Amino acid sequence: MKSGSNLEKVILSGQPAVTAELGPPMSADGHEVIKKAKELKGFCDAANITDCQTAVVRISSIAAAVLALREGLEPVMQMTCRDRNRIAIQADLLGAAALGLKNCLCLAGDHQVFSAAGRLKGHPGAKNVYDVDTCQLVGILKKMRDEGLQEGGDKLEVAPKFFIGASWTPMGDPIDIRPMNLLKKVNAGADFIQTQGIYDIELFRAQMAKIVNMGLHERTAILGGIIVPKSAMMLKYMDSSVAGVSVPKALIDRMNKAKEAAGDDKKKARELQEAEGIKLSIELIHQVLETPGIKGVHIQAIEWESAIEGIVKAAGLYPRPAFAE
Amino acid sequence: MAAESAIKMKGTHLQRVAALKETRPYSPCRAACPVNTDVQAYVGLIAQGRYNEAFEVIRSVNPVASVCSLICHHPCERACRRCSIDEPLAVRPLKRFALEQASEYRRDRRALVEKTRDRSIGIIGSGPAGLTAANDLADLGYKVTVYDRHPALGGMLVSAIPAYRLPREALKEDIDDVIAKGVEVKTNCEIGRDISMKELSEKHDAILIAVGLSLSRSLNIPGVEGPGVMLAIPFLEDVAFDRKPDLGKKVLVIGGGNVAMDVARSARRLGVKNVEMVCLEGPDEMPAWKWEVEEATEEDIKIHHRWGPKSVVREGAKVKGLEVVKVLSVFDSERRFSPTFDQNQTTVIGADTIIITIGQMANVSFLKDTQVRIDDRGRVVWDPKTQMTGAKGVFVSGEVVTGPGAAIQAAASGHRSALAIHLYLQGESIEGKLPTYEKEKISDMPADVASKIGREPRMKLRHLPPKVRCESFVQFESGYDEKTALTEAGRCRGCGGGAVVDAKKCMACLTCQRVCPYGAPVVSAWSEIRPEFCQACGLCAPECPGQAISMVSYDVREIRDTMASIVGAVEPKRPDPVIVAFLCMRHMGTSGFSLPDNVRKVPVHCTSRIDIIDILKAFECGADGVAVVRCSTETCKYKGIEDRVSARVDRAKQLIGMLGMEAGRLEIMNSDSGAENPYSGVCAGFSGKIKQMGLRTNK
Amino acid sequence: MIVGSQKSIDEIWDMIKGFKKVLVFGCNTCVAICHAGGEKEAETIATLLRMRAAQEGKDIAVDFSSVMRHCEPEYFEPVMEDLKKYDLILSTACGVGVNFLSDRTGTIPVYPGVNTSFYGAVESPGNFVELCAGCGNCILHLTGGICPIARCSKTLMNGPCGGTNKGKCEISKDVDCAWYLIVERMKKLGTLEKLAEIQPARNWSTSRDGGPRRVSLEHIRAYEEKEAANTDSAGGKK
Ligand SMILES: Cc1cc2nc3c(=O)[nH]c(=O)nc-3n(C[C@H](O)[C@H](O)[C@H](O)COP(=O)(O)OP(=O)(O)OC[C@H]3O[C@@H](n4cnc5c(N)ncnc54)[C@H](O)[C@@H]3O)c2cc1C
Ligand code: SF4
Ligand code: SF4
Ligand code: SF4
Repeated sequence: MKSGSNLEKVILSGQPAVTAELGPPMSADGHEVIKKAKELKGFCDAANITDCQTAVVRISSIAAAVLALREGLEPVMQMTCRDRNRIAIQADLLGAAALGLKNCLCLAGDHQVFSAAGRLKGHPGAKNVYDVDTCQLVGILKKMRDEGLQEGGDKLEVAPKFFIGASWTPMGDPIDIRPMNLLKKVNAGADFIQTQGIYDIELFRAQMAKIVNMGLHERTAILGGIIVPKSAMMLKYMDSSVAGVSVPKALIDRMNKAKEAAGDDKKKARELQEAEGIKLSIELIHQVLETPGIKGVHIQAIEWESAIEGIVKAAGLYPRPAFAE
Repeated sequence: MAAESAIKMKGTHLQRVAALKETRPYSPCRAACPVNTDVQAYVGLIAQGRYNEAFEVIRSVNPVASVCSLICHHPCERACRRCSIDEPLAVRPLKRFALEQASEYRRDRRALVEKTRDRSIGIIGSGPAGLTAANDLADLGYKVTVYDRHPALGGMLVSAIPAYRLPREALKEDIDDVIAKGVEVKTNCEIGRDISMKELSEKHDAILIAVGLSLSRSLNIPGVEGPGVMLAIPFLEDVAFDRKPDLGKKVLVIGGGNVAMDVARSARRLGVKNVEMVCLEGPDEMPAWKWEVEEATEEDIKIHHRWGPKSVVREGAKVKGLEVVKVLSVFDSERRFSPTFDQNQTTVIGADTIIITIGQMANVSFLKDTQVRIDDRGRVVWDPKTQMTGAKGVFVSGEVVTGPGAAIQAAASGHRSALAIHLYLQGESIEGKLPTYEKEKISDMPADVASKIGREPRMKLRHLPPKVRCESFVQFESGYDEKTALTEAGRCRGCGGGAVVDAKKCMACLTCQRVCPYGAPVVSAWSEIRPEFCQACGLCAPECPGQAISMVSYDVREIRDTMASIVGAVEPKRPDPVIVAFLCMRHMGTSGFSLPDNVRKVPVHCTSRIDIIDILKAFECGADGVAVVRCSTETCKYKGIEDRVSARVDRAKQLIGMLGMEAGRLEIMNSDSGAENPYSGVCAGFSGKIKQMGLRTNK
Repeated sequence: MIVGSQKSIDEIWDMIKGFKKVLVFGCNTCVAICHAGGEKEAETIATLLRMRAAQEGKDIAVDFSSVMRHCEPEYFEPVMEDLKKYDLILSTACGVGVNFLSDRTGTIPVYPGVNTSFYGAVESPGNFVELCAGCGNCILHLTGGICPIARCSKTLMNGPCGGTNKGKCEISKDVDCAWYLIVERMKKLGTLEKLAEIQPARNWSTSRDGGPRRVSLEHIRAYEEKEAANTDSAGGKK
């Protein structure tokens, strides 16, 4: 065992892993984290704590992860390259390990101009860092854990033992570079991979076939990304504007139908679409898990953590495996 | 700092341009002119309505300007690069127009030149050669005396060239310019008869012989002696000095040159209805200018081609006609004049009077027994490198040594002699210092440039109808009116007046190369603008970020530098807004149209020469509104410039916007330049708009 | 070449309005090419400032002039005396020129008239693009000749990230994804497999991060120093 995290154990056990996502609040309200952790606890093997996603200031992933951990929910601390140089990142990693965190997902991070896709002010004028990139960050974690060395070469008396993750956008363009992109992350030391949201299952399977061919599925645990859709509008937006995500027309049509069934009743329309979104997610979970080379799913119900329970249960993924300490 | 010193360096427009042009190949018109008149410069000035300056350009090299404006054979036109587009520019008529417009100015500027040098020069002969030399030497401060055997000054111009082509008032303008400088004149004074060469040499420190070719050649054929047969020059002199010769009912002129044309056409004007000509040459071989032949034909003058004179047929003493023999060929295989005849083919052309016009020769008998040497063919021996004869201090000039030619060639010779005399009197060597007038010229219009230039017909000159004009010696050609002249002036492509790069300022940014519609600039280490491609539109200069490009003529900087004086004082309590209107001078001079008083005119060669800074400058000088008025896309002289001009205007709007000024204070407008007063309407309309917008005020 | 853009007249006015004699001093190389600070722009700015002064009823003399470059002493030494007649020099050179000149004008302040942006190429007339960031340690041979440091918004060395969208960067539809370009280029060059290699964390010390930088050419410096040592204070050879 590399880290002894619950997530690592589930994966080692050969059972399909389930991770979820917990978005920390844009305020100092720790209760929000605790509330969300309670909603997720028991329905996933670990929950990703995002690191100021969409480049918006939130409770830091390290702090929120500790709050979740105290609630008994295993966190996957996310760490982006955007805001910290290698000194700050390593310092945070040491602190996180000391606080008992065991999973870390390495990401480049949304660019600061993103500002929640323009919905919030954000900090587009901020100076970004990007001292190291994802691949290099993965390498730093591995070097710290396995060689007991800092990136600069100084020795670590006690090495942080992280289960190292990296993100992967299987269907981003240029699409033919994506397998190589994964290969690099695996070579750098990624123990597990969480992918960008998958809707186009055909295309995803084609990409996975290449991965299997390369044998990468044996060297890392790939968890397919599921983004739970809330509405037809959200699906359309993701199709048109979210990098690396394409949504087949049939799925959008299904959502539209659900919306139309409600007629003019706005509330009903929302309910029907949410129900359809959950249904759709469950189908996708099955399709992803049936894809050769897949070791689990990463379910993101963005600002809708309460939906996870139902989805996991309905997908037949409940209860989650438990291991003796 | 830089702006001021730049202005100081430049001098007046004419001085600056003249100096700059010396360093560059000449426009072909200028190179073709025997005195290198800067045609491009004065035509451009005419186009802007700057007639007095145009006159200055012309007069600066040509003391017989008015004469040339009427009778010059205009080699400039044959050289004009417009020939490869449509027709040459009407250079001579434009010169006439400029001189007529500037006549008052010209009279006012006449002034005595102070005699700063205590040496005197005697000039024998007052033709263009003698007059020109007198002019130059007087300018240099010498005492000059001109001697002529005729009662009036001008040589052939006054004594031979008929008044229907060269009215004497025009000639008088040229002569008065020279006389006014303080030149002493001795008319009715023949050297060798009234004064001897010896006397002359004692009186003067140098002598110039400019006696022209005052004798007509005659024919050595039976019957030539006796009444009814005349020689051209005496005949023309009779006409010139109003000694009406008796010609009978039918006149036959022998000869096919220009003098023969003058003789024949003069005879017509003396009331002879039946004037015929006979010459050796066929219609295409005649030495006379084509237009002369055409005009003579219009005047019912019949030409017998390819007949050679054999004998004068007389009935008793009275001439009955001329027996002629058929010409087989005029030139030999090397195109040398060597006529052959078919003696079997003869005929008689009836005539009461025969005038022989087959060439002139010099009368240098007065030089016998002087130190001036005469060769066995009766020609003065001289050195073209110094203009000097074998006798020290005795110089020659004009046709007496160069042989027959045009007035302006004699004038060129006069310039050379004057300088030679000056150098001689200064004790300097002469050789190598006299102007050659042979200059490198801009080559022909490249085909792809020619293809980008619109066809525009040459403005026609009006002539009196043949019937009317044959009744008197009244001038038969009318000059251009202003509109026509300006239109014609607009046809000039401004060769050699275009863009020049200051290599010290050029940073090879390629802008000019990208901008030029004619592919003229080639940028390597710096930009070189090829004059044969450049059409002088000026589009490039305001685009150059290093201000490395200037225009040889009407440099763009001049607009800026003169803006303050153009705008003048701006009264705080003005009733009307002050409008600065940049007007494309295409088709329009400044006086060719009138604008309301509150509109200050800035004529520009083309709106493509307007810089953003010029526009700002107008506002800086107090304009309430600035109008850029250009001709329509169809009539624009340059193709494809309007978008760039609009882009500049848009940028200037942005900039004035930064100062809180309304964009509407600046406008680009089109007007059909064909209209009578094309710009007044748009300017008045714009002025009204600005008035509504309100006048600008400063704190 | 160095690319910049003109500051707004308002901003410049705020800088200069307290002065009496101002020279707008253009630089006729890089910033002229990008139409920001050559002699033409210097004259334009000077004109606008005079107009502004008139509007506000302020008595400020504004002239303009230019030299070929502000970043080498020989170019402006000949006009140094003229510069001293002003109480402010508004340099429209790049920041390099402003710095360099300020070091030499003693008590006369030199203010910037241009925002210096980057160094780049003239993609087409009026279009200037940043292609190199001057990191001091070139890796273009590894990236198909396209610089991810200058052209990737995240300076990724192992790109692309997940933000590539239809060939564009996540920051804007108008910005090309450098890594997209790199991949396409390397495909064309047949060197795509090079990208499989993980590029290690960079040594940024050769870049701005290493503090102010200087390049010294040993052979030239050595000569110059020797010359200086051989020359006495009066300028003659020892
Ligand atoms: C009929 C005719 C038409 C012409 N048409 C044109 C034309 O259309 N365009 C054009 O460009 N050119 C024309 N020319 C040519 C032009 O007139 C001559 O090229 C020019 O006049 C020559 O100038 P010159 O000064 O050498 O001599 P001239 O003009 O001949 O002047 C010489 C003067 O010296 C005087 N003189 C001679 N001997 C003595 C002496 N011993 N003492 C005192 N005075 C003396 C003569 O009387 C004469 O006045 C024409 C010439 C003629 C004859
Ligand atoms: S176009 Fe004008 S400048 Fe050119 S040759 Fe003709 S007259 Fe001279
Ligand atoms: S536009 Fe000016 S600086 Fe640029 S190449 Fe042409 S002459 Fe040189
Ligand atoms: S743009 Fe006009 S003035 Fe400039 S080089 Fe070309 S033709 Fe000549």
